[in-house]
Amino acid sequence: MSPVIPVGPYHPALEEPYKIELVCDGEAVREAHITVGFNFRAIEWLAERKNYTQDLALVERVCGICSNVHTLTFSRALEQLAGVEVPARAQHIRVIVHEAERLHSHLLWAGIAAEVIGFQTLFMTCFALREKVMDLLEAVSGNRVNYAMNKPGGVTRDIVDPAMVSATAQAIRAAMERDIIPVFTTDRTVRARCAGVGVLTRDEALAWGALGPVARASGLPQDIRKAAPYEIYDQLDFEVPVRPEGDVLARIVVRALEIVESCRIIEQAVDGMPSGPIDAGDFIPVPAGEACARIEGPRGEVFYYVASDGSDVPLRVRIRTPTFQNMPTVALMVREQTLADVPLIQASIDPCYSCTDR
Amino acid sequence: MEPDAILEELGVTAAWELHGDGRWVEAPNLDVRAMARLLRSVEARWVTLTVSPAPGGGFRLLYHWDLAGRLLNIATVVPEARAESIADIWPGADWAEREARDYYALEFAGRDGSPALMLRPEDEPGLFSRTQELGRDADPADAARVDAGGEP
Repeated sequence: MSPVIPVGPYHPALEEPYKIELVCDGEAVREAHITVGFNFRAIEWLAERKNYTQDLALVERVCGICSNVHTLTFSRALEQLAGVEVPARAQHIRVIVHEAERLHSHLLWAGIAAEVIGFQTLFMTCFALREKVMDLLEAVSGNRVNYAMNKPGGVTRDIVDPAMVSATAQAIRAAMERDIIPVFTTDRTVRARCAGVGVLTRDEALAWGALGPVARASGLPQDIRKAAPYEIYDQLDFEVPVRPEGDVLARIVVRALEIVESCRIIEQAVDGMPSGPIDAGDFIPVPAGEACARIEGPRGEVFYYVASDGSDVPLRVRIRTPTFQNMPTVALMVREQTLADVPLIQASIDPCYSCTDR
Repeated sequence: MEPDAILEELGVTAAWELHGDGRWVEAPNLDVRAMARLLRSVEARWVTLTVSPAPGGGFRLLYHWDLAGRLLNIATVVPEARAESIADIWPGADWAEREARDYYALEFAGRDGSPALMLRPEDEPGLFSRTQELGRDADPADAARVDAGGEP
């Protein structure tokens, strides 16, 4: 009988609870069963009982890392319902904060990946860079976790020091290109630890609805910023890194290259930021109807559906986060891999259990 | 394949309603498995499933797909809490169907043995439906265990 090794739901290496049961044959993993829901907060249920203003604060707490994308996606769904156009300056600010959030999320993940690989100095380098982004977000929004930057119709705060934002993005881009990307792409230790490990094929990624860097590292060139541009993304010059290998190394490289692209996007958004208002004025309650919004979050597409009956409380709010789609693919990635590689493989999807459970 | 051809292939007589966020169609007699097979064959991307109580009873199932960047929203209605599963065609739909069962006690054909996703094994499915019956102020944690005889 094959031994079943349960990992979680609580584990010293995981900040958030989830459980994976590994059916092993010696050191080889034969199959895996994933259990989630330990962070279930019934946020969709709550959102249908609070007014839109309260919901804005609620959805920001879906995730502790990509909190901004939730208020942005929710706001965009309401703007769609109401037919409201967000002022150009607000769109630029939204993109700057959105990409800064991607930077800190990817740098956090890069640091954790480095630590899991056993590369402590790289971990420290990544976290030192991430701190610059956190300082930037704090300077712009006054907060380090829940920025409260988005509101239906625009943003809550202007950016008063755009030069600082641009300088930070340039500094991070230079450090990535000089210090971090060469390590992730050429270092023999990283390659030995990650190449060919935890493969998710292109067909599997498509069938399981994988999103974001996980999908792009499996050869799927999907990115909502390109496929269905929102805010000012259709005016910006940036690349979407795609790798065909589908392994842990590909997921590392895709995210590392995306950090550079996010810096480029921020620099362009700062350069092109026009003067003008930062919000379109209040339009709550929204008209009756239904609408969807999609945003390319750090971990992939964030999807919101909102139905309104014209009152100040939504009829239905549906939230589909990227890890909700990516997490089941871990069961495919770990099959026939060694037990010792499981922590690295599960970390390679940059999982967010809080997002998944909502 | 273009969106209009998809409706034609599925025998849906209604036309797409084009909104800023994508295309919408109501397809009351939709064969969801045929839809899933067709969209798989054209390499559409699974987005998610939104379930909500239908105004006249039953449930509205709103399937969201991405077709080369275009969002397709295809809605159908089931009169009872039972629907066809597409998880064997689109594995990515597995968790969305299990979650729909957790929230609305919506049973998907052939999935009787599937475990709960967000709820614990001892919780009765239909959390959202049950709290709706108990009133808008009902606590979901209490309602999760209302039929299980456990402590709230």
